[in-house]
Amino acid sequence: MTCTPRQITLDEWDARYDALKAAGLAEPACGGRLSRHLADGDYRLRKLSFDNSPAALRLWNFLLTEEERLAQARTDGRKIVGVMKDLGTTAVMAYALPNVVAFYPDGAWWIPCVMENSDRLLAVADSLGIDDSFCPVRAMLGAFITANHFPIPDLLTCSVGATCDDFSAIAQRLEALGHKIVWWEIPHRRPPEPDEPYVTLPGQIFTAARSQVDFARSQLRIVQNALQQTAGCTLDDEMLAAAISHANRIRRLLAELRRTVYTAPRCPIPALEMLIAEMLAIHYCSNRDQTAAILQDLLAQARTRVSADAGFADHDAPKVFWVNPVADLRAMNILEQCGARLCGTEYMFTHALDPIPEDVEPLEALARAALADPMIGSARDRAARIAADARDFHAEAVIVSRIPGASHCALEGRIIADHLRKTTHLPVLEIEIPPLTDAVRPAIATRIEALVETVKHRRRP
Amino acid sequence: MICAGIDAGSRAVKIVLLESPTRRILATAVADQGVQQDKLAARLYTQLLEENNLRESEVSRIVATGYGRSIISFANTTVTEITCHAAGVRRLVADARTIVDIGGQDSKLLHLDADGKVRDFAMNDRCAAGTGRFLEIVANRLDLPLADLGRLAAQSRQPAQISSMCVVFAETEIIGLLASGADPADIVAGVINAIAHRTAAMAPHTPNGPVIFTGGVALVPGMDKALADALQSKVAICPNPQITGALGAALIAASQASQQP
Repeated sequence: MTCTPRQITLDEWDARYDALKAAGLAEPACGGRLSRHLADGDYRLRKLSFDNSPAALRLWNFLLTEEERLAQARTDGRKIVGVMKDLGTTAVMAYALPNVVAFYPDGAWWIPCVMENSDRLLAVADSLGIDDSFCPVRAMLGAFITANHFPIPDLLTCSVGATCDDFSAIAQRLEALGHKIVWWEIPHRRPPEPDEPYVTLPGQIFTAARSQVDFARSQLRIVQNALQQTAGCTLDDEMLAAAISHANRIRRLLAELRRTVYTAPRCPIPALEMLIAEMLAIHYCSNRDQTAAILQDLLAQARTRVSADAGFADHDAPKVFWVNPVADLRAMNILEQCGARLCGTEYMFTHALDPIPEDVEPLEALARAALADPMIGSARDRAARIAADARDFHAEAVIVSRIPGASHCALEGRIIADHLRKTTHLPVLEIEIPPLTDAVRPAIATRIEALVETVKHRRRP
Repeated sequence: MICAGIDAGSRAVKIVLLESPTRRILATAVADQGVQQDKLAARLYTQLLEENNLRESEVSRIVATGYGRSIISFANTTVTEITCHAAGVRRLVADARTIVDIGGQDSKLLHLDADGKVRDFAMNDRCAAGTGRFLEIVANRLDLPLADLGRLAAQSRQPAQISSMCVVFAETEIIGLLASGADPADIVAGVINAIAHRTAAMAPHTPNGPVIFTGGVALVPGMDKALADALQSKVAICPNPQITGALGAALIAASQASQQP
């Protein structure tokens, strides 16, 4: 059943769901009406605008049923591993084991938004001394205390070192509460000294000293050992190589989806659904195979729309490159409501989008991937990659959104904005997106509308 | 043919009536903002037309701008205050390249190209520390009319240091300063300096050419000097700074009207 692309409300989705079912819509086990998630307290859904495609329905249902998958994994006796902070390396390792499910506890940072604070996770974090001067990822602490959102993992790993200060503090508080963590250290990526052996990292933009790669590899060996102990079986190179290969299939799918969507004359998938889709790359939302199927569906949907010249914005909608994930999902809807379209993103995990090398030993490859993390190098490095990507996707403007309390955002936002202004000469808008934007929506919309107007002025001869 | 621009700001509503072909300003009006913003703007608009012996049917197009632009139901369209201030200032200061607008709730820094088109802009964050709201708070706290703040600040011998970046915390500092016997003139001067520095922090580099200062806060005596010190650049107050947004909206309305069939 085909339909003109449209962003619809939750109520409209119910009517559309009935029509799709009547037309024979086939769904996976996690399917169903989107509105059923209201019963779980996901009240934010009432304020979002959704893509009306079956592929988007599947994406949302997959995202909103992760807690059920994790609970089922516990019931089935599978080992559950929480891979914290690292975005896209240790999850690949964990999924190399047959009886392990990995998830990303940091993902709890969206719960205050999705549940409109009804679960009071931030209040729990407050009571533990992690107040709103920290990143909203502090909600994770509340989720561990209430144990309402995911089973307590059999193993917790966390990268530390050149990672986010907020997260390190929160994870240390978590360990102090009795949750043992296997720490692994990632060094600050630095330019190699003259004559120092170095390695070009995935993405082909950054390099790292050979010694740093060796160190990262030794740290990943710690994770490998912990995973073996937890799973009770060997995690050898062959298994890791297969997992890398699987990860790369998903990354290639996502890369093709990004290319198709961001370069289409009319944007075939809205900004909000693209944000959710990109996030799947870092942790697979607790099911690697379904992640691949969902991305394949979205890609097929995008291609169908592109060939029909159908999409969510006018042909002349200003092309905006978005930097940093948003604490409130609703913010992504505002972009299209203001007449703009997404043409590229940098959500702090570009290294999880780049293929992991398959022509070197697996731990070496994973160490290189981990060192390509945009968050562990200098802000100028990160800005350089953003500038290159913004140029590749023909962006006409850049939005650098900030997460309140997130120390790296406060420090990096201005550096990134200044670098982009200097090197790309694009207009750059810095905005702060709190977990619930309702009260500041007019202020955010004004800024984005002004950016749209500015792009249109700049186009005029 | 007449066009109108309405700037529904957080602190005041401003209206400009413009003779479309000549772009000549026919009339202006300013009123304090209220709760029923649409009704207030409509009343002010009707009153302005009546005072100038004009009829609604003579107005071919209305553009609304400002924080409350979306609720001006009788406007034909809306344009953001960024674009409108740029258009309005450029009309009054033909070679303006850098504009600072400080209003009741927002502060903005605009960069224009040689043709007057907006190239880039920056706006304050959610916090009101760099806006006119900060002045309102200090006026309330000192029990002074807003219009007297500049005169009082001119008497300051040693401006107070306001260190907080948040206006709520800054108010706490003001209470502390008052409790310690600080001269109100020094407190007001300190607040003016804090607003200027907060605004200047939005500028990525030395401003291009003289900075044109507009918005209601530009009417506060001494604010331009504080801004010049903070930006380390010459600052000139735009003529009629309070109405530049409405003027820009009226100019855009006139331009749109001329393109209508």
